[in-house]
Amino acid sequence: MLFSSIPFLFYFLPVVLICYFAVPRVAKNVVLFLASLVFYAWGEPRFVIVMLASILIGYLSGIFIEKAKSKNTKKLFLCIGTVLCLAGLAYFKYVDFFITAFNSATKLSVPLLKVALPIGISFYSFQIISYLVDVYRGDTAAQKNFIKLGAYIAMFPQLIAGPIVRYSDIEKQLTDRKQNFEQVAEGIKRFIIGLSKKILIANVLGEFVDKFRAIQEPTVGFYWIYAVVFSLHLYFDFSGYSDMAIGIGKILGFTFPENFNYPFISGSVTEFWRRWHMSLGSWFRDYVYIPLGGNRVSKIKWVRNILIVWALTGFWHGADWTFIIWGLMFALLLMLEKTPFGKLLKKCKPLAHVYLLAAIILSFVIFNANGLGQMAADFKGLFGGAGIPGWNEQTGYYLRSYAVVIAMAAVGATPLPKLLVNKIFKNKENKTVNVIYSVAEVVFVLGLLIVCTSFLVDGSFNPFLYFRF
Amino acid sequence: MKYKIQVILIATFFLALSVYAWVKPADKISDSELRNLAQFPEVNKEKLLDGSFMSDFESYTLDQFPLREEFRTVKAITSLYVFRQLDNNGIYIEDGYAVKMEYPLNTGNVSYAIGRMQNVYDKFIAGTDAKCYISVIPDKNYFLADEHGALALDYETLFETVQHEAGFAQYIDITDLLNIEDFYCTDTHWNQVHIADVADRLAFGMGAETDNDYTINTVNVPFYGVYYGQAALPMKPDTMQYLTNDAIEAAVVTDNQNGVPMSVYDESKMSTRAPYDLFLGGSLSMITIENPMAATDKELIVFRDSFGSSLVPLLISGYKKITVFDIRYLPGDRIGYFTEFTDQDVLFIYSTSVLNNGNSIK
Repeated sequence: MLFSSIPFLFYFLPVVLICYFAVPRVAKNVVLFLASLVFYAWGEPRFVIVMLASILIGYLSGIFIEKAKSKNTKKLFLCIGTVLCLAGLAYFKYVDFFITAFNSATKLSVPLLKVALPIGISFYSFQIISYLVDVYRGDTAAQKNFIKLGAYIAMFPQLIAGPIVRYSDIEKQLTDRKQNFEQVAEGIKRFIIGLSKKILIANVLGEFVDKFRAIQEPTVGFYWIYAVVFSLHLYFDFSGYSDMAIGIGKILGFTFPENFNYPFISGSVTEFWRRWHMSLGSWFRDYVYIPLGGNRVSKIKWVRNILIVWALTGFWHGADWTFIIWGLMFALLLMLEKTPFGKLLKKCKPLAHVYLLAAIILSFVIFNANGLGQMAADFKGLFGGAGIPGWNEQTGYYLRSYAVVIAMAAVGATPLPKLLVNKIFKNKENKTVNVIYSVAEVVFVLGLLIVCTSFLVDGSFNPFLYFRF
Repeated sequence: MKYKIQVILIATFFLALSVYAWVKPADKISDSELRNLAQFPEVNKEKLLDGSFMSDFESYTLDQFPLREEFRTVKAITSLYVFRQLDNNGIYIEDGYAVKMEYPLNTGNVSYAIGRMQNVYDKFIAGTDAKCYISVIPDKNYFLADEHGALALDYETLFETVQHEAGFAQYIDITDLLNIEDFYCTDTHWNQVHIADVADRLAFGMGAETDNDYTINTVNVPFYGVYYGQAALPMKPDTMQYLTNDAIEAAVVTDNQNGVPMSVYDESKMSTRAPYDLFLGGSLSMITIENPMAATDKELIVFRDSFGSSLVPLLISGYKKITVFDIRYLPGDRIGYFTEFTDQDVLFIYSTSVLNNGNSIK
């Protein structure tokens, strides 16, 4: 079920919230767990079994790790739990990729299994692994209550597209969470802002991307506009989803980690990854990069660590060579930034921003390419190697038709709107200003909800990009 | 206190809209979109397990959402006037006319359509004394695309392709007789009252003479054309009018598809989902029109789309008999079973939209 759908907004969510707030505190996790299973089953009924099996693996492994007396036994249970989680991920997400690679290397023709991908498996597998590692390290106690652990792993607000919430982040909240009107009000506002980012910006830009892919006479100009638009589309799609997840979390009494912090204003790729999909970046840092030795090793091992982490980061996003290339591109750029070039970027801010935007925009062209062939064709198109004209009437039409939304997205991807609102209402301590601000907030939020609903009712274009991960 | 009020206000609105969605009785059809609306799907084990219940339920909730038309209007207004998009769902408004963008030109489809006509000619007409004519009706984009800055077909190439490839027929150009005022604001079609000169040009080109002493009849039911619903914008409905003369009133018309008599105009169609079916019953594969008042023995065979339905009545006075085929519904290969070509005039007349999507012609 998608957040940005009528069944979720006007059927599932109200019913779940009514039940959630109606039951006593002790039963809230049960409601949350059952609601999450229904939410998951709505899109993938048969994969609920995979989800429940994953929860059971996490539950039993956590308890066994904690109860094991020797470190080696703890390690054994950690390995078993982690391998089982990764085996599920490898089978459902990567098996056909491996078969294709095997066929390509051996010239054999082992048939593809064409396994369907359970939604959100990349997210919940990583959550279970982080939970097991934390139990193993003694950073957290194993959860003895299956419902609580199930509620954590299957929690519908962040189940299918993150942020990747670590067990330690919400361990206490699973047992004792406080709710007040301020938190609920902030959650509602955050959810509707995220919904608007997704429906009013990301989906509209997504139409542009679809039109680009469908046209028969592309131009160099169209390729570049597409590259910019896709970057904004991806940002608003994914950050909108994260906002919605964080918003629903707040309504339910949870505080999820932030996932985005205006990544496009970064001055380097290093900074970009501190602002983009932060929960994934920190996961790889804490559970892969640092255990490998991080940067406190020899230069060669450090290069190895960086390459491993970024190849895995790319591979996590999708079972295709394009994603691995995409990840490795960041590895190279991050290493480049450790050279004098990095110092130059720090000194010359305009250059740093141009470099960052160019790198990110081109990286997302790789990211969105459907295979190596399309990636090569897209780069040819961008750099005039495809023998296509620079501009035509069609390119001009679509640019003019989407110019306002592109401009809104470009400005919205920076802190400017927030700064502007803060400036207008800077005197919030003043009672009159505070009342005006509060009323304006409600009117704005309801207005957005109405417009979002109108787009949902009218349109059928509504895929979430991060579903496939 | 501030947050409490905010939560109560937003939650009340949200819940009220949700409850309204749950209890609202399902509508059967959408008048503005001229289509059936999704109904609550059947619930069974298979549909639940394969997920089809869920997707059907989503369609149901979208189609049956309360105030659906009003919400669609909000979306259209936001797209066109806030986001300043040049079209909404492929439809734009210019000078009060709702126009669907048709782009790009698909010469393959045009050639295919001409090929199907050539097939009819080769199989049934070649070697007879029948004379063939062909004409193309431009769509509203032809007149408004430049003004709006919209994408449009390469009409010059389209017309040239038709003239070049339809060597079996004499081309009759009617584009200079038409302008945007000849079309309905909310519909794709032309207004019959404005095309008497087109009928004259075609009749003259085929050596026939028509009676131009028409009476204008106005239908007292507002005409919401096909773009009215698709555009979802506040637009005034059109007024449907049709022309009659003595020949039209005396004409004996047969719906050969169903083997029943019919009338040239049927006002009862105005209350159906396809009001333009008022003209010659709409999408019927074969119709014959006999003119008892004819002062000539000339016969005409017309291959047409829906635009032809409103044109053909204006040609009745010039012929003793007119046979109308729609080879989108009746394969051209079978025409020989229903008529014999001797020395008739044969007119192929199609709109640019149908030609550009020419694979609908069989």
